[in-house]
Amino acid sequence: MNNRLKVLRAERSWSQQDLAERLGVSRQSVNAIETGKYDPSLPLAFRIADLFEESIEAIFVRD
Amino acid sequence: MDKAASANPAFRRYRRRFIPITAAYVAGIALATWLIPDKAPANFTTITIAALPGLAVIGWLWAMARMLIELDDEYLRLLEVRKAMVATGLTMGITSFWGILELFSPEVPKLPGFFVFPIWCLGLAVGQLVNRRTFGDSSGGCP
Repeated sequence: MNNRLKVLRAERSWSQQDLAERLGVSRQSVNAIETGKYDPSLPLAFRIADLFEESIEAIFVRD
Repeated sequence: MDKAASANPAFRRYRRRFIPITAAYVAGIALATWLIPDKAPANFTTITIAALPGLAVIGWLWAMARMLIELDDEYLRLLEVRKAMVATGLTMGITSFWGILELFSPEVPKLPGFFVFPIWCLGLAVGQLVNRRTFGDSSGGCP
């Protein structure tokens, strides 16, 4: 699954650590999601979507 | 594991539980080496001393289970579970392989059951390497 996390983060000038703190996860988690190594659970995807005020499908897109 | 991830309260609590359990395990082995002579009968003293490392191993598994329950970061939890699965697979594979050899080839040296847990610990280290190779990340140590 691809995602726009890196772009959304860059638009806000947030580092991976900034985003991790806002989501309450580790920086490793943010990095793994951004690079597509790990697909988040639905609750975490909702938290990400809420943080960026977008829908889940606007952030996460199918391969 | 980076500093921020290792600062997760679940890992901190795990390390706090790990130290006394490890001390009990080492003390049990030291007592057994010191007090139990070779070819000792399986009497009350021998069984009591031998039970100490066994209870410590149960304690370690309990501490790991608590860590997995308390770990609120799903990705770090995935890494820990993968590590344990690699360790379990390796331990089962090695002991099954060696067990069959022992059953059918009398010249093969016997592998004492005591070594199953140390093999599992080595498996955790291998699991950590697998995580690093596949995800580029690793997490805690043994066990």
